[in-house]
Amino acid sequence: MRNIFERCSAKRRHEPRATRKSRRLTGVLGVLIAATGAAGGAGCTTFGAKPWEHDLLAEHAMQVASYPLETAIDEHIYFSKEASSGGRSFAGGGCGCN
Amino acid sequence: MQLKPRSPGNAPSLRRALAAAAAGLLAGGTGRAQEPPSDPPSTTIDSALLVYHEVNRVQAIEPELNLTYKVNEDSTLALGVAADSLTGATPLGAVPSTLPQTYVRPYKVVPLGTPVTVTSASGGSTVMIIPPATGAKTQTLGASTTVVPNTYPLDRGFYDRRVAGHLGWEQALTETLKLDGGVAYSKEHDYRSESAHVGLSKDIDAHNTTLSAAVNYESDLSSPLGGTPTPLTEMSAEWKGPDATLHEVDAVLGITQVMNRRWLTTLSYSYSDAHGYQTDPYKIISVVDPVTGQPMRQLYESRPESRRKQSAFFDNKIHLTADVISASLRAYKDDWGIKSLTADLRYRWQIGANYYIEPHVRYYTQGAADFFRYYLVSGSAVPAYASADTRLAKFHAQTYGMKFGVPFDATSELYARIEYYDQHGNGSPAGAIGQLQQQNLFPDLKAYTLLLGYTYAF
Repeated sequence: MRNIFERCSAKRRHEPRATRKSRRLTGVLGVLIAATGAAGGAGCTTFGAKPWEHDLLAEHAMQVASYPLETAIDEHIYFSKEASSGGRSFAGGGCGCN
Repeated sequence: MQLKPRSPGNAPSLRRALAAAAAGLLAGGTGRAQEPPSDPPSTTIDSALLVYHEVNRVQAIEPELNLTYKVNEDSTLALGVAADSLTGATPLGAVPSTLPQTYVRPYKVVPLGTPVTVTSASGGSTVMIIPPATGAKTQTLGASTTVVPNTYPLDRGFYDRRVAGHLGWEQALTETLKLDGGVAYSKEHDYRSESAHVGLSKDIDAHNTTLSAAVNYESDLSSPLGGTPTPLTEMSAEWKGPDATLHEVDAVLGITQVMNRRWLTTLSYSYSDAHGYQTDPYKIISVVDPVTGQPMRQLYESRPESRRKQSAFFDNKIHLTADVISASLRAYKDDWGIKSLTADLRYRWQIGANYYIEPHVRYYTQGAADFFRYYLVSGSAVPAYASADTRLAKFHAQTYGMKFGVPFDATSELYARIEYYDQHGNGSPAGAIGQLQQQNLFPDLKAYTLLLGYTYAF
């Protein structure tokens, strides 16, 4: 295992900076996906719930956009005070506040 | 447990009550058997009022109203309107000085010969008359503001009104495939934004997985008060160039996965490509003396006309016995050199069936744009792009909030939320010149928000 890591780091030292940056973003995504998979798989081997197990998921607070107006207002505030936008939805702010 | 002895006097009334209940149940049962089952609500009204207060800076009030109407089993119409009103002070971008500083900006254009009776403009400015050019039929009025020594320069005449609206349609094409689209419009006195989006989502694996893709096109028009300045030219009260445009295409790809009965997770990637005018026409950057650090000139800032943004967003909702945890993480980068990380955590603490409280904490950190400068130095080459807007600087910010919600029943809810936002940057950058060493070049931003919301479905 140690040799694999050493080989990887040796290879990265010779990569262009842009490639390393791209790898880093891919790495973040990879960690997120792996974390999701590992945590989900910790208790059982498959994801998902049976149709009769969707009771809690059907609750209002469990919806992906449970309070869309509150979320939109928050995103509007942060868009006007910070340099980042997007992720949850489109990056365009729709206003001249940034 | 101490049980009360049965009172003989209650026996007849109990019998009567039981008889009445049985009769009612029978009658009610017969009646219900003939009625169709009650329909779920077809209309939802979502309303909110935001009150936003920055310490010593911007104040805003913003009412919003969203309406969704289920036209039929497969189609939903969505409408929304919003308005906001902002006043107060916003940073100019200039550095503070141990000496008084005077800034001028265009204020108004009037026909030549119009008597000027105004002696002061908003925000404590003084109106000045710009001598018209020979043969001109109009004359420009400027506004002059003086900032006292050792004070962070703010534009105290900041004022804005915005109205915005959106219209959307969602259509189920099959049991597992949904198409949605919509348009949005936003108008300020100096900015207009129009956009249209379309999206598709597909459920697979017995509705446990949803794949989604959406694109948005936005076209903006910037019409700054006083015209659009040429980047890196000297600040003046002269009327500037024509309106400027910005075009932006956004795309979002997402996957939402039911992990188990209590856990829903979403992973999305968004990409944005913007071309056009992205400079803030009201922001300036100081050119300072290389020895004393005193500002000698003020230039309008300059930002690239192209910007590509990428972000990865990871969101989780976890249902405990009654409480719900919402936790998200966003990683962002763009080709202006800005990278940021956002972590957000909410804990919905269900207290009984009738209300909940929800503590909220958010942490945000960003790196500076490649062209961010606190100031430029006189005698050195002026770069192609330079901005002293601290929103493009390296900083971190925390949000602490508390929400209190009262769901009256399955169809309506009233909530109130208060939050505190605190932004910290480096106010004493290394290598500051002369008098700048004793100035705070990045004052903290502290803001409070109060949000009141009411949702009703019928």
